[in-house]
Amino acid sequence: MFDLEDLKTRLKIAKLKIKNNSTLEDEKKGSFLGFAFKLGTELVAAVAVGTIIGFILDSWFDTKPWLMIIFFFIGSAAGLLNVIRTAKRMQKEN
Amino acid sequence: MATNPMHQFSVHKIGPEIKIAGVDISFTNASLFMVISLGVIFTFLFFGTREKKLIPSKMQLLAEMFYNFIAKMISDTAGTKAKPYFPFIFSLFMFVLACNMIGMLPYSFTVTSHIIVTLILALFIFIAVTTIGFMKHGLSYLKLFVPSGVPAILLPLITVIEIISYLSRPVSLSVRLFANMMAGHTMMKVFGGFVISLGLLGGWLPLGFSVALTGLEILVAFLQAYVFAILTCIYLNDALNLHH
Repeated sequence: MFDLEDLKTRLKIAKLKIKNNSTLEDEKKGSFLGFAFKLGTELVAAVAVGTIIGFILDSWFDTKPWLMIIFFFIGSAAGLLNVIRTAKRMQKEN
Repeated sequence: MATNPMHQFSVHKIGPEIKIAGVDISFTNASLFMVISLGVIFTFLFFGTREKKLIPSKMQLLAEMFYNFIAKMISDTAGTKAKPYFPFIFSLFMFVLACNMIGMLPYSFTVTSHIIVTLILALFIFIAVTTIGFMKHGLSYLKLFVPSGVPAILLPLITVIEIISYLSRPVSLSVRLFANMMAGHTMMKVFGGFVISLGLLGGWLPLGFSVALTGLEILVAFLQAYVFAILTCIYLNDALNLHH
C-alpha cells in the first residue's frame, strides 16, 4: 500500500513535467504577442509624460513654450529608449 | 440611445447617494461589477482548493493551472527574490482577468475600460515598486537613473531621459489596458449596430465580423491581464535586482 502511494506522487510529478514541456511553446508565443502590444504604448506614453513635465515646468518658471518643446524631444528619446529596451528583452528571450 | 457605441461605458448610481466629507462614494455599476469579479474569483478558488485531492478534480486542476502559470512567470522574469510578492501579483492578475472576462458577457460592464481604474492600479504598483526599491537598496536605488559607462558631458541629459522613462511606466501600463479594452468593446458595438441597420440582406457580413471580433476580444482580455502582470514582474525585478 505504501508503495502505491509513493507511485501516485511520482506519477503526478512526471505528468506535470510533461504538461509543462508541451505548454512551453504556446506560452512563448503568448509572451511575444504581449510584448508586441507593449511597444506602441511605450513610445507614446514617454512622449506624453515628457511633454506634460515640460508644460508644468513652463508654468513654474514662466518660460512658455521653450521647456515644453525641449522636454517633448527628451520624452521622445525616452520613448525610443523604452522601445529599444523592450526589443532587447524580446531578443534575449528568443 | 441603445445604438450609441459609447453608451456601454456610462457609469450610473445604483441605490442611494452616499457622500462623505463632500466626496461622492455612491455605489455604481462599476463598483457592482468589481464586487461580482471578486465574487467570481473567490468562488472559483474556494471550490478549486476545497478538496485537496491527489488526483485533482477539474476545478482543482484549473486553480492549480493558474497558480503554476503565475508562479512560473514570476520565477522566469523576476527570479527567486520575488517569491514573497506572489500573492500580490496573483491577485492583480486574477482581478484584471476576471474584470476583462466578465466584461465580455452581454449586458455587462467592463470595469477595466475606465482609465481611472487602470490608472489607480498602475499608480499603486508604481508607488509600491519604488518603495520596495528604496527599502532594499536605500539611496543607491537612484543608480537606476545613472547608467554606467556614459561620458560625463552626456550624463545630465541621460539622467533626465531615464527619469522620464521611469515616470512613463504607470502611464503606459494604465493606458495600454484601458485603450485595448475600450477600443475592442466600442468596435464590437459598432459592428453589432451595422448588423441591425443593414438588416436581413446585408447584415450577415458584419455579423461574421462580430463573431470573429468576439474571439479576438477574449484573446485580448486574457493577454492584457497577462501583460499587466508580467510588466509588474519586470518592474519588480528592476527594484529587487539593480543591474542596469
